[in-house]
Amino acid sequence: MADIKCAFVIQRPPYKSETSTLGFTHAISYQVVEMLLEDGQNVIPTVCMVGEGVLNLIKDQKAMENYGVTSIESHGKNSLLVDLDILVCKEDLDGFGIPEDRLLDAEDMGADKKLQIVPYSEIQKAMESANHLLFF
Amino acid sequence: MGTLTLGCFSSLVGSKSLDFTLKLAKAAADKGHKVNLWLSGNATVVGKNHQKHLKDYSTGEKPVLELLEKGVEICECEACALARGIQKPDAIPGVQWNAMHWYLAKIYSSDRVLHIGGE
Amino acid sequence: MKLGVFVNDYKSTVDTVERLKADKLGLIFVQNGVYHATLKVNGKPCPLLDKTANLYALAEDLATRGLTDADVDKRVKVVTYSDVVDLIFNDYEQLAWL
Repeated sequence: MADIKCAFVIQRPPYKSETSTLGFTHAISYQVVEMLLEDGQNVIPTVCMVGEGVLNLIKDQKAMENYGVTSIESHGKNSLLVDLDILVCKEDLDGFGIPEDRLLDAEDMGADKKLQIVPYSEIQKAMESANHLLFF
Repeated sequence: MGTLTLGCFSSLVGSKSLDFTLKLAKAAADKGHKVNLWLSGNATVVGKNHQKHLKDYSTGEKPVLELLEKGVEICECEACALARGIQKPDAIPGVQWNAMHWYLAKIYSSDRVLHIGGE
Repeated sequence: MKLGVFVNDYKSTVDTVERLKADKLGLIFVQNGVYHATLKVNGKPCPLLDKTANLYALAEDLATRGLTDADVDKRVKVVTYSDVVDLIFNDYEQLAWL
């Protein structure tokens, strides 16, 4: 078994707890997991943003200015930069009235990846295809 | 027998999720399963030694020592611990310190994963 | 997928649980999640109990809250930690904590 798929499902809103930050940072750590695995073994993460978790993706966060901590926006951008797939629930964005142009991207960092706004059914498929689910 | 990896992000005091994690780890180890336990975020406090068991608060040191004796691998997020003022000399002997990729590597070789997120 | 969901809270996780789908779904009520298995609101049991026939509540968390087997909806099986380990390895391939 070469690849293990993990769905990192972020459902908590930002800044009230550490949860969503840790969701991103744990997913990003897939980049160095090969140090502890054999050749050909991989962990493939997919980040899924659902419910209040989509609020983590609003751009122009000022966490560094106000709290002296890295913003969750930065973690999201770094996730795109390391080519993580980030699926965002369209129904939840619509429910909160958040248009796509309010969401972060990492073009300024040179990332090829973009947020993928998808119906919940696509997120369900991603969870079904994962070996393990991690809800943050 | 299988391998179960548990991740816990909840605090020792103020939540019973960490208590649940330790009890489930013990139950699985008692049945002969291999158990890995990753502690991150507020859960890293459970890896600190010299916890005083006051009756209004949960304590983790004794169950952690019991789990280590049963062969459970326990590792905590070094950055999370340092951010909370916990230094390596304060750690319960036998509890490993590493970064988040330790958790992903254990997940790789696990039959089951239960990720217990923080509040 | 065969999904075992640990429902550990009373209110905040219901929406997420309600929209999960699985070929085989199990709901394991732990911590304050056990109230889903015991409380009736306006005389009606929790709608989560209609979502699957595979319903479990952790005995220790019931007892901690002053609840007994008699308080538990008849559709829910009361289980121990040891039973939960068996459910994890024998009945469900994926697990979620909500």
